[in-house]
Amino acid sequence: MSAPATTRFSPSAGLSRWLGSHLSLSIGAGILVFFVLIAIFAPLVAPYDPVLQMADVRLTGPSLAHPLGTDNFGRDMLSRLIYGTRIDLQIALIGVIFPFIIGTVLGTVAGFFGGIVDAIFMRIIDIILAFPFLVLMLAIIAILGPGLTSFYIAMALVGWVSYARLVRAQILVLKNSDYAIAAVSLGFSRTRIMFRHLLPNAIAGSLVFVMSDAVLVLLNGAAISYLGLGVQPPTAEWGIMVAEGQPFVTTAWWITLFPGLAIVVLAFGFSLLGDALGDLLGVHE
Amino acid sequence: MSEPVLSIRDLVVRYHGVTPARTLIDKVSLDVGKGEILGLVGESGSGKSLLCRSVMGLLPSRALKIDAGSVMLDGRDLTAIDSAEMLHVRGRKIGMIFQNPSSHLDPVMKIGEQVAEGIRFHEGATREWARSEAIRILEQVGFPDPERQYDSYPHEFSGGMRQRAMIAAALSCRPEILIADEPTTALDVTIQAQILDLLMNLRDRLGLSVILITHDLGVVAQTCDRIAVMRDGQLVEHGEKRALLADPQHEYTRMLIGSHPSLPATGEDEEPVRAAIEKKKTGALLEVDDLHVEFDIGGSIFTGGRKTFKAVKGVSLQVMPGETIGIVGESGSGKSTLARAILGLNRIASGHVAFDGVDLAQQPAKALARLRRETAMVFQDPLNALNPRYTVGDTLREVLKHNGTPSAEIPGRIRELLDLVHLDHEFAGRKPRSMSGGQCQRAGIARALAVNPRLIIADECVAALDVTIQKQIVDLFAELKERMNLTLLFIAHDLAIVRNLCERMVVMYHGEIVEEGPTDLVFARPKQAYTADLLAAVPDIDPDRPLLAPRAARPPDAA
Amino acid sequence: MHRYKFVFYRPLQLLPVLFGISVITFILVRMIPGDPARVLLGTRATPTAIARIREQYGLDEPLWRQYFYFLENLAHGEMGKSTLYKIDVLKLVMTRIEPTLMLVLVSVILSILIAVPLSTIAARRQGRIADHAVRIVSTMGIGFPPFWLALMLIIFFSVRLDLFPVSGYGRDPLDKLWHLALPSLTIALSLSAVLTRSLRGAMVQALQSDVATAARARGMPEGIVFWRHVLPNSLVPTINLLAINIGWLIGGTVVVESVFAIPGMGQLLIRAIFSRDYMVVQGVAMVFACATVLINFMADVITVTLDPRIKL
Repeated sequence: MSAPATTRFSPSAGLSRWLGSHLSLSIGAGILVFFVLIAIFAPLVAPYDPVLQMADVRLTGPSLAHPLGTDNFGRDMLSRLIYGTRIDLQIALIGVIFPFIIGTVLGTVAGFFGGIVDAIFMRIIDIILAFPFLVLMLAIIAILGPGLTSFYIAMALVGWVSYARLVRAQILVLKNSDYAIAAVSLGFSRTRIMFRHLLPNAIAGSLVFVMSDAVLVLLNGAAISYLGLGVQPPTAEWGIMVAEGQPFVTTAWWITLFPGLAIVVLAFGFSLLGDALGDLLGVHE
Repeated sequence: MSEPVLSIRDLVVRYHGVTPARTLIDKVSLDVGKGEILGLVGESGSGKSLLCRSVMGLLPSRALKIDAGSVMLDGRDLTAIDSAEMLHVRGRKIGMIFQNPSSHLDPVMKIGEQVAEGIRFHEGATREWARSEAIRILEQVGFPDPERQYDSYPHEFSGGMRQRAMIAAALSCRPEILIADEPTTALDVTIQAQILDLLMNLRDRLGLSVILITHDLGVVAQTCDRIAVMRDGQLVEHGEKRALLADPQHEYTRMLIGSHPSLPATGEDEEPVRAAIEKKKTGALLEVDDLHVEFDIGGSIFTGGRKTFKAVKGVSLQVMPGETIGIVGESGSGKSTLARAILGLNRIASGHVAFDGVDLAQQPAKALARLRRETAMVFQDPLNALNPRYTVGDTLREVLKHNGTPSAEIPGRIRELLDLVHLDHEFAGRKPRSMSGGQCQRAGIARALAVNPRLIIADECVAALDVTIQKQIVDLFAELKERMNLTLLFIAHDLAIVRNLCERMVVMYHGEIVEEGPTDLVFARPKQAYTADLLAAVPDIDPDRPLLAPRAARPPDAA
Repeated sequence: MHRYKFVFYRPLQLLPVLFGISVITFILVRMIPGDPARVLLGTRATPTAIARIREQYGLDEPLWRQYFYFLENLAHGEMGKSTLYKIDVLKLVMTRIEPTLMLVLVSVILSILIAVPLSTIAARRQGRIADHAVRIVSTMGIGFPPFWLALMLIIFFSVRLDLFPVSGYGRDPLDKLWHLALPSLTIALSLSAVLTRSLRGAMVQALQSDVATAARARGMPEGIVFWRHVLPNSLVPTINLLAINIGWLIGGTVVVESVFAIPGMGQLLIRAIFSRDYMVVQGVAMVFACATVLINFMADVITVTLDPRIKL
């Protein structure tokens, strides 16, 4: 314990692992920054208006004028893809951030106070988890009416559960750690122990989970739009673009291919970033 | 020494994950004789485990390589043979057991199967024959009902029995050499004595050669024929046990022997101790009266009501100001629970705890406020006792601020505290992860001192440290006790340390105090058979004071 | 055998969850703005039908009384009538269970058949090219949107190769399996990505574990170490992950059934949402929730069987 730890090696430790997590980090961050820049500068980089219907170029394949082709209304797919970035990034961001905040606070409180508060939260979580995630989301959206706002509300109502469970489990472990007991024995206040000593150490796991959750939220948001219950036409969003291309899938494959690929690449970016963060913070799901 | 069965010559192991490669085993040469027990001693990081893993061809990382030297067994160089041949060396020629049987036994496989596995693979035995062989071996290592226990899983056994199962698995193919890597470190002393007894017994019966890796010189002195001392990957000294212990040549060996806690403290005569006990009739700082602590251990309306585990059962104890009391007991004896209950960290089922005359049960708010302000705790695992995100300075600053130290004085106080525990001032800016165990423990002690405590409870605070560091921390406590007139409750399973530090001691067993008295008196004339067993099981560094393994667990008479 | 006692009392422990499921589905439908009778029956309902449903569900009474009427009806297997299909919701849902169940089963089996070999290859060649390939593919696979993947599979297997049907559900068992090939492959590809990541991680850890070291020290060859020690110890966390993901899996079937026009519960749910057939939405959600609870219970039984340490 006192000498440098020379006897214990994890076989994957060392240079290749360091490189591995930094490679994931740079590729993941690179993908994300790329999409964020595209979203911000969409009007500058998009060659056309995403909803402009050009009657003379319906269903044309990729060409110089329209690198990703056009759809059945004669809209430029590249421009729609670029503007879609804005919506899909927003879906991932807002769909993650409210559940993260709500879940972290509730999980911390439940884990820290235990007893009846904890029991009640845990039962609520059990019940919500009993519903397949997408089914409950769809049911809530069915009531609130289709649209992105409904999606965000449904996310906030349902999505916090995983964060709460994660943070609660961490808090339960940390609560019994020696440094937490030391803090109690030194007479620090409960709020101080909870927010200064426990939460900062418990949150690492959630931060990593945010990244894999962003993937799920992105896929679900796109799926809900694909089903016609999220973003409404003619707004450009990747999920709905796939749906719009579906009738022409055998003849005009480019309408469906590219939006789906965009989702895959963005999701890959989030996953890589999550893996790298997990390695760097020493957290494993 | 008899003819060697295993010869290690100029072995060099390097870690190639960094440039330049780091040398971890540096030209070690060593022989193991037939039927002898060789003690391989060293502190963590000395390379003693790595050396044995190199012999087995089980280096824990691909970045580790044997770069030079040889390991000769039966005229073959183990470093040169291919992995298929090595399979027949492991298990058949050399068996190995490990420190933590709980993690090394497969939790989802019956223990009998784990013993039989080797027999089936190495000897191509049928399932039935392997089973009967395994049962025979289980019996040999001390399983009372091997027929039935063959079909049990590891989690159904105690730590001592799990280690026996590991030994059975390692010996299943009758190897000539057994490598035992800290086989008793995780066990209670009485269990340790039994396992060591078993190892010696097996050596005599099977003519086994044993390499016993340990950090405990006492264990070596009691069991080994020869000793090899390692440090930083080098073999600093080796030789016949008695000669080496009596006349160590190397300075490091002398330091190791000097740090070993079982030596009677030199130059300290017993008068001051007596005096300390005399002066105590002033009024207790801490009074514990008939304390009971219980824990809920699950149970529900479906499984038959609430179940509780009684961790502390009617403990009474008085601690006078300035006194140092040792609380000893094996794992599960309730000593840590008692400490936490005293500090108001565990709910008390019944009984009283009064600190400086204020009763914790009757005036909880006032008593807790007093306890929080005037007591402090030092923990077993020094790394986990510090908030990983705080620097040592942050940790101390938080405590000082909380106790109302004016901000202007805080930096000065932090330096003072670091001086007290002999840490450089630059440690104020370091986080626990960049510090060694001993340094973390010093920081933990500084945090305890920051409240200017009247009572410090140290819970197994040296158990996780190397012996030389242990000694430094114990010395630090002795020094602080002297300088600051501290009252100290020192919880330990290591009796020798308690003997050196504490004036009075309390022996706990299954939640009760079974014996109590001045330390030297308890050591000289234990009243309880249990205490006597406990004392006898401590491996002494003097080979002529043999340890006695209790034949069976002997529960104490009613306290 | 006492470890399996929970099989008997766990259903009792699940009662609160089932109760909660009924509360949530009840609240969901009552949250819809407007006259609940018209919400439940649709806009073209006759006055007599409205009067009848008002009485049956006590719609003029306080909410908590209404909940008890709802529970009472539920106890009689009465989940209301579909406005779109004009039949009892329970009967309607019953006819839709089989395709969904088949889809889930085939998908799970397929994904295990994909995930176990891939993770085994990756874990045993840790750090080599095969491992990197598996890791990259599985990391990417998690991000494949099922609805899009389904279309891509259709283009390739149905349109280009003409191997599998584009949509629908067959009549006899073989025909059904043939129709389910692409839908279940869609789900299995996504699910196996998740499983592979987890199983590979568990295997890598188990390969480096003390248990494996001890087995090697007894002279066991890598093959025995892997099959007898590493695999059994890696399965439990993966089964648990599968159980956790069962909700996600069902979500996947909802989307995939819509793409392939499979007459299952998912497709029924989507149609019901669009036609404001709330009784059906409520019924499907409830059946899905109960199915999830049941599957998790089964996962518990499997876990207890695989790991002797676990007590429930």
